[in-house]
Amino acid sequence: MDELEVLRVRDEVLQAMYWMHSEAISTMPTARELSRFLAVPEGVLTAYLDRFVTDDLLEHDGSSYWLSATGMDTGKRTFADEMADLTRPTHGECDDDCWCHDSPEAAAECLHERSSHAHSH
Amino acid sequence: MPIRTNPTPPQVLPKNFLRPCLLLLLREHPAHGYDLLERLRPLGFGRDDPGRLYRALRTLESDGLVRSVWEKSSSGPDRRMYELTRAGMETLHNSAQDLKETGEILDVFLSRYSEFVALDSGTRSPVKQRDS
Repeated sequence: MDELEVLRVRDEVLQAMYWMHSEAISTMPTARELSRFLAVPEGVLTAYLDRFVTDDLLEHDGSSYWLSATGMDTGKRTFADEMADLTRPTHGECDDDCWCHDSPEAAAECLHERSSHAHSH
Repeated sequence: MPIRTNPTPPQVLPKNFLRPCLLLLLREHPAHGYDLLERLRPLGFGRDDPGRLYRALRTLESDGLVRSVWEKSSSGPDRRMYELTRAGMETLHNSAQDLKETGEILDVFLSRYSEFVALDSGTRSPVKQRDS
């Protein structure tokens, strides 16, 4: 297995399983249910799920998979990390009292600082 | 003559209709995934494919139309709370405008068809579909 791909799939699977668990959709999905949820072929996904069991991220009883404590933490943390940049407000979504509304120059500087994650309100 | 009531959601919804529907629901108020799943039902979506909702929310968030944060829960795992961004609000407005125009075209179609046959809500014709 390509280890970079393993990491990518790991995050995708753990995030989805954490979300399913937190929304009470399923705490112990089967490989088939997970593959449908993620819209990926079951045969491809199963090999990764078994790998994540070996890595102590998932537990498995023969048909269902569920998150281990480590898997739960990783799923929640990587979900937040992945969305952090995306969910940060963009220019024009500042509070009304933000200095970036003062002038075009200030707005440009605000946008620049937002892109470098240094600006806060 | 109609022979049965159709209990399932309509099979022909506008392409990518889920997207504006989610934006609309989040325009009404921020929500968790499960809440969205429930509130999508009157808009023609079943509850049998939560993965579709999950993937749509991820895409909307990647596109900057929605943002989400973990909300602490005292009785279970933290849940993701979704809300609309300003870009999402603008996209929703454009989608609503497009749907309005689509609706006007559909009204013309239905008006002309009703000159031949009156349609009742939730009924299907007994005529079998032809193989294409």
